[in-house]
Amino acid sequence: MKPLKIITLQFLLLVTSIVYAQDISFNTFTISEDLKKDANSIIRSESLFVNIKSQTSMTLNVKRAVTVLNNQGDKFRYVVVNYDKNTKITKLKTTIYNAFGGVLKKVKSKEFKDISNYDGFSLYSDNRLKYFEYIPIQYPYTIYYEYEIATVNTGFIPTWTPFDRFETSVEKSEYKVVSQNDMKLRTKEFNFEGYNISKTVNDYAINYSLTNQPSIKHETLSPGINTYTPKLMVGLYKFCLEGIKGEAENWEEFGKWRYDFLKNGNDIVDEGIKARVEGLVAGVDDNLEKARIIYDYVQGKTRYISVQEGIGGWKPANANTVDQLGYGDCKGLTNYTKALLDAVGVESYYSVIWAGKTKKSVDKDFFSMQGNHIILNLPTDKEDIWLECTSQDVAFGELGDFTDDRDVLVITPKGGVIKHTKKYKPLESQQTTVGNYKINDNGSIEAKVEISSKGIQYDDHLGWFLGKTQKDLDIEFKDYFSHINNIEFSKIDISNNKKKAVFEENLEFKAQDYASKSGDQMFIPLNAFTNSTYVPKRVRNRKLPFKISRGYFDVDMVDVQLPRGFKVEYIPSSIELESDFGVYKIEVEKVNELEYKYSRKLTIYDGEYTKDQFDAYRDFRKKIRKYDNRKIIITK
Amino acid sequence: MKKILVLIFIGLLTTSMLAQDYKFGKVSKAELEEKVYPLDSSANAVVLYKSRRTSFNYLQGEGFQQKTEIHERIKIYNKEGYKWATKLIKYYSPDSGEKENVSKLIAKTYVLENGKIKEYKIQKNQIFTEKKNKYWAQKKITMPNLSDGCIIEWKYDINSPYRGISKVELQYAIPIKKVVCRISIPEYFKYNVKHLGYLEINKKDSYQNDEITLVHKVRTGQVGYNHTSRENNSTETVRLINEVSEIDMENVPAILEEDYVDNINNYKTAIHYELASVKFPNDKLKSYSTSWEAVAKTLYKESDFGGEIEKRNYFKNDLEDLVKGETDETKKALLIFEFVKQKVKWNNYFGLTTDEGVKQAYKKGTGNIADINLMLTAMLQEAGLNAYPVVSSTRNHGIPIFPTLSGLNYVLASAKINGEVVLFDASEKNSKPNILPQRVINWNGLLVGAKGNFDQVSLLNTQKAGVNSTISAKLDADGEINGMCRTKYTNYYEMLYRDVYGSLNEEDLLFKLEEANDNIEIEKIKVQNKKEIYKPLSEMFSFTSEDLVTTSNNKIFVKPMLFNCITENKFKLKSRDYPVDFTTKSSKRYSTSITIPEGYEVESLPENIGIGLPENYGVYKFQVVKVGNKINTISDLSINTVIYPAKYYQELKEFYKLIVKKNAEQVVLKKV
Repeated sequence: MKPLKIITLQFLLLVTSIVYAQDISFNTFTISEDLKKDANSIIRSESLFVNIKSQTSMTLNVKRAVTVLNNQGDKFRYVVVNYDKNTKITKLKTTIYNAFGGVLKKVKSKEFKDISNYDGFSLYSDNRLKYFEYIPIQYPYTIYYEYEIATVNTGFIPTWTPFDRFETSVEKSEYKVVSQNDMKLRTKEFNFEGYNISKTVNDYAINYSLTNQPSIKHETLSPGINTYTPKLMVGLYKFCLEGIKGEAENWEEFGKWRYDFLKNGNDIVDEGIKARVEGLVAGVDDNLEKARIIYDYVQGKTRYISVQEGIGGWKPANANTVDQLGYGDCKGLTNYTKALLDAVGVESYYSVIWAGKTKKSVDKDFFSMQGNHIILNLPTDKEDIWLECTSQDVAFGELGDFTDDRDVLVITPKGGVIKHTKKYKPLESQQTTVGNYKINDNGSIEAKVEISSKGIQYDDHLGWFLGKTQKDLDIEFKDYFSHINNIEFSKIDISNNKKKAVFEENLEFKAQDYASKSGDQMFIPLNAFTNSTYVPKRVRNRKLPFKISRGYFDVDMVDVQLPRGFKVEYIPSSIELESDFGVYKIEVEKVNELEYKYSRKLTIYDGEYTKDQFDAYRDFRKKIRKYDNRKIIITK
Repeated sequence: MKKILVLIFIGLLTTSMLAQDYKFGKVSKAELEEKVYPLDSSANAVVLYKSRRTSFNYLQGEGFQQKTEIHERIKIYNKEGYKWATKLIKYYSPDSGEKENVSKLIAKTYVLENGKIKEYKIQKNQIFTEKKNKYWAQKKITMPNLSDGCIIEWKYDINSPYRGISKVELQYAIPIKKVVCRISIPEYFKYNVKHLGYLEINKKDSYQNDEITLVHKVRTGQVGYNHTSRENNSTETVRLINEVSEIDMENVPAILEEDYVDNINNYKTAIHYELASVKFPNDKLKSYSTSWEAVAKTLYKESDFGGEIEKRNYFKNDLEDLVKGETDETKKALLIFEFVKQKVKWNNYFGLTTDEGVKQAYKKGTGNIADINLMLTAMLQEAGLNAYPVVSSTRNHGIPIFPTLSGLNYVLASAKINGEVVLFDASEKNSKPNILPQRVINWNGLLVGAKGNFDQVSLLNTQKAGVNSTISAKLDADGEINGMCRTKYTNYYEMLYRDVYGSLNEEDLLFKLEEANDNIEIEKIKVQNKKEIYKPLSEMFSFTSEDLVTTSNNKIFVKPMLFNCITENKFKLKSRDYPVDFTTKSSKRYSTSITIPEGYEVESLPENIGIGLPENYGVYKFQVVKVGNKINTISDLSINTVIYPAKYYQELKEFYKLIVKKNAEQVVLKKV
């Protein structure tokens, strides 16, 4: 009896979707004022329909009608559909309507462009896309499109995020998934509370809809909209990826499946390679030291080149191939490093992560294909160490803001485990600036300064300066000290101290007119090296909380020498500011009439803060800017 | 005996040091051992050798086929040079029509391992072929097993049924040690040849005899039942002369990007070939563009260009209604210009000729550059104006120095009004007559006149872009400033302002302005004629700030220009090889009037200055006066050129240095 029921259900769904398609009116005058407020565009009606036909066959039908009110909503003017060898587009049509709901343009299939989906970093990818770009000739307009794709990748059931853009309201969004009797669905809901969502759910069919959701306006430093708006993840217990079947009940089993299909012997290196790396660690007993040697070896031998083709988009290249070519993508290089570590008896695990400056975790309760990057987990007695295998430069175990502080899937032979990557405490991300400067009687400055950076700031400085020519460094450091005009560097030395995980810069420069003059007076900015001009912009009637993603600690210690023949009229005083967001401390100490010791310490705490704290944060930042810009006044 | 031996030995040594072997695969140990490029220690990689041979070979039944053989050998010194190990070979491969292809691709990496040269050849499965779009495809390779100091080398042929010769590139972003090219062209094809860049090109031209063997099939014997026919081949030899250009250059320095350069490719050393004519024996000469006159004539006759201007029916009725009763030429032109802007939106495609045609564009409401501005030209003509299209090249497309069709990619409309040629670009909603978007401000355009007559028209904006900003502010004893700022924008700056801020509501605009002016908080803002482009654009806001003033010891210090200070000298490079491109002439005039708090008097004011650039390219004035309890200041910067020569770069740097210095000086107020 059971199968029959499902067939009926499917049939019903089909009927409703047909009726629904005819029902839509794209008249923009009927849109309620609530939905227009603060909106540049309105999702009038959206329907995602996933039909799982078998473990290896699924179709996705998408219908979306978006009314664009002004040119800031124009990001919706594109229709983009991805495809590849295992994902075919079976239907694709687009119509544009005018404000009254009349047809403005029916897009012909030849108007779609068919191009390679160049991701900006891959050497090659077999991913392609069809896209159409509408050129608005009037506002408002409504773009309606429908497409259907057929794919084997049942491991990727799209996540429903009906309300995931700022300044975009939603009249209606609907999401349906239908499956077969031996293919139970799993779901997990996020942030549904307070939203107008209706649903019917059983093991084989789900139906969700969100209606009449007014837009939210973006505010400075507010967390990503998708961190607090509804999201529905859907998955199967039996699934398929590029033709490879899998079954799992939880992360552990899912991880086991991935491990088995990843492995297939491709993480075992040939005897020759094994002998070579054994030679490298000969006489070393400590596993951590061995790992350092191997990591250093991989960094020297390989480079990052991405090739994404078929299952190669998911499965790492064989470790022997990577060794032979000297290049690979994140999967290949991580797997290669792991294979070499295996060869010298150090345990490590291939780990899947969502990489990006915005921290995003692999969901710990809902197993599915997640992540966009691979790093290596190296468990030690004390802590987990994480290795970024695509960088030739980063120090052992340093992560930076690309992969720090988030949940990842660690794939072990026994199965998947969720672990958390390193979170840098503010004091661990320290930038230390030690130096001295001398002011000449014409107002010019001569300075020597050494900057060393750790933690997140190590990664920042590495990205800004490493690998640049002297000519480029000259430009970069002029930018770094952009508050000082007319800089002429006589020395720029940089060094990536991998052993200590510290980035070091050693600079000497002169700059004319550092101090400005008025009459007999000379104004000398006291704080020459680390100038914090950042103040978040004012938000009137703030509605959203705000977030400081990463904390840090800046220390400056500077000896100041003033020109002879002048007397000090004003010297800025010592200051200490404390707030919920950090601590700022300035100390000015007189050595003699013309010599001072200046120190500046700024700690910023990361965290989530309420909207009511925003003004206090701005105030804190404004004060810092003000104190950072204080000037010594001297007269003849 | 001994002597001779030594001599030979030395002789050998010198040749092996001097004469390098450029045959594919003959990489020397010395080349691999080199740690740094002696002529430019900052080079991360260097092209040791580049060779290019282009020739045309006659193939029976297919005609002349172009073959270009490329061979490059690159030394990589360090990791920063690794990006040169990835090679893209682009070739024309349209969905329909004849295709080019790439053949005989071999590539190798050479490294020193334990003192021995080891080579790694690229495998078939490491060569990727990617179809980029409807017209173009590319081969992609990346070299295996790189290490610092390695050498990579590749060679391949590009075979083309077309006659267009791709640009001969003689300068890269890394140095080239030796480059040799040989371009051999049969006498039947004539090209216009253009040299680019500031380096002298060492080129020798010669003529070489060649011959083609044509095979004719001749049938002998009776045809028909019981008879067999035989085919015999008879051959014919055709003699021809090839025009051969040989280029041999050594130690070509790297060309580096600089700010304020219109397009670095305009300065790279290279040779352009443009097909001018084809004439086969016993056949008529087929001319392509050979002179600006011929370019104009070709375009004029071209159905997708001249032909499109002739079409009038599709707009006739609309036009009549539009200009009914209007006799003034300027007003008529504006009416039509605005009408086209409203009617047809630009689809972001350039084009020297129309895409689907003016009629379709008119109907659909979208079109490419040629669609829009040819339509505009036709409408202006139909309304009785002396209007013609002007063709040109966008900045990214480079400068067409010699007569060329392929060097052009843009069309403007022009009309002679009151004896002056006025330029129009209806693809930008905020552009006005003679106020053109940046992409098209690029040297000269070619006016295609009646019957294909032509004229050169300068595209450098002749009208000065202006910012005129007035602040009146009141200063409190505790350092707070309240005031009003009113700014007028004209010409190019007016267009920019509307492009950036025009579509923002007040709240968003306020936010953007606060972002741009760090130190102030804006209370109220009003922009007049944000959308009405023919009325003066002015922006007015009230502001408060605690961050513009320093107080200490009963003194107040304030920069008189407040937030309108010029604070940064953008010319930071020590020296410069290419002209500075300002896009437009400009005038930036800021004035402030600050009321000082009661009980304070002026202790010192900055001194007035007036400075200038050579040849009156620019002038700056700064004046401060105290009038009653007010301090009135004017800062007036005028740039009188679009292109500023590199030879006066030091003067420019110094000029801005003095401006920044002057703007940083403070007014000192003292408590009475």
